Amino acid sequence: MAYREELPPQCPPEGAEEITADREVFRAVRSDPPTEADFQSQRAEKPKKEFRGLSECVVRGVSVFSDRRDGEKLLKLPHMRGRLLARVRLTAGAGKIQQTFSPSHHTWWPFADYDILAHCGKVES
Amino acid sequence: MKTIRYTKTLFYYDGPQVFEARDAIGGHYVGVMVEPDGDQDRFVIRGVSPEGLRRFRSGLLDLRTLLLENESEDWFLASPSTPTGEELTLTPQTGSIDDSGFLPEEGFLLHDLPTEDETVREARERNNLVMEISVEPPEAVSEHRIRVATLAALLNHVQTVVKHAYGAALRGLSLDARRSIDKSDAHLLDVVVPAAGGSFKVLFQASKETDLLGNSELGRALERVDQLFEHAADPARALAVVKEHKGHLAGAYLRFLRFLIETRTGFRYSWAQPGFTRPKVSGISEAQAQPLVDALSGISNLGAEAVTLLGALEKGDVSGTWRINTPEGVYSGKVRDGGPSLEGLKIGSTYRFSCMEEIEELEATGREVRTLYLIEHEPA
Repeated sequence: MAYREELPPQCPPEGAEEITADREVFRAVRSDPPTEADFQSQRAEKPKKEFRGLSECVVRGVSVFSDRRDGEKLLKLPHMRGRLLARVRLTAGAGKIQQTFSPSHHTWWPFADYDILAHCGKVES
Repeated sequence: MKTIRYTKTLFYYDGPQVFEARDAIGGHYVGVMVEPDGDQDRFVIRGVSPEGLRRFRSGLLDLRTLLLENESEDWFLASPSTPTGEELTLTPQTGSIDDSGFLPEEGFLLHDLPTEDETVREARERNNLVMEISVEPPEAVSEHRIRVATLAALLNHVQTVVKHAYGAALRGLSLDARRSIDKSDAHLLDVVVPAAGGSFKVLFQASKETDLLGNSELGRALERVDQLFEHAADPARALAVVKEHKGHLAGAYLRFLRFLIETRTGFRYSWAQPGFTRPKVSGISEAQAQPLVDALSGISNLGAEAVTLLGALEKGDVSGTWRINTPEGVYSGKVRDGGPSLEGLKIGSTYRFSCMEEIEELEATGREVRTLYLIEHEPA
């Protein structure tokens, strides 16, 4: 299965699991309804940027939270002012995902065919 | 121009959003992403007190309060490409940080649920993996004390089991995954509290810092250690698990259990990474250790590990000693009585040596002496 973005070798890492059962995650978005741009990886947003100290695999993934409270917390940061919190339903075929950094933070590598916007639920400020 | 160096990411979302840093004289700083500046990220930077930072890491102080509690008016902006990979040059700002629009809203706590658990609290405060062990040898019954030799041996056994658990965990990964990990010294533990209150307790911390994503490589090792202790109350199941880990890890575990019996103590431990909400807790009582030691002692070659060496033979003599040069290094070993003969092997030719590696622990120092015994050889 092809990924939404070209990924480096050994990416997603061995610890990432393929999404086979439904789950909900939360992501900060700029508008209601969200757009494709809201689900771009850091690499897609800044193709020429040098991400020193960060693995190329991680910068080609998308950050999401499994716990809504962490999403709400994120919106308190100055960088996120004005953003909204979208609930995204991940179903079989959504791609691979791995818990990274904190219990609720996950890095998601979506499959190319997964229609993310069709799986976006309620957006809240 | 003042500079600081990134030390740890505290909150990650599409890149480090909140991080901590130190200056050249050890002062603590916190950086918060404020806005991207082209391909650069832009962070507001503020000096913070060690105590304030500790309370923030523990989830007891919110980010805005942390940034405002500094009595100095100094605050800075920095625009690195990524804070994690370079020295950050700070640009001093005028005016109050309170009026800058760069402060987070109230209520940003790193952990929403402050923990009551001591191990998790330590892991959060230290922002690293911590492991707390406790033993109850006879001398610790009435007061907080332990024999010097017992403590020294205990620390050595714990580090040895963890070292071999890490090696076993790495061998379970693919070659590519192993190559992508910086595994040098990742098994090392530092004692950070040598005699914590309670029954005789010692607190360790991973010697190396966590990676960018907040995980310690040492976690891999402790997950293996958990497997060994998980069924301590059920000798048959425990025996099966230890057999699965046959090799240096099982050997180190057996020596540790024997030590617990000799010193008449049980062993409890808990460990946590900064992101844990609950610690992982396990251990074994003195009573549980005895039947397990009895069963494990009956397994031949429990602590031996199969090793295959492919390389050019440098030495092979009739006394049964040999040396082989492989891409991973030069190895030497022995042939046991009745083992394969080295006669006819050509110096400089390439061979595949199938060996068993055994570890003997020197009683006085606890140092491990490894010996490779040749089992089979073939031209390659």
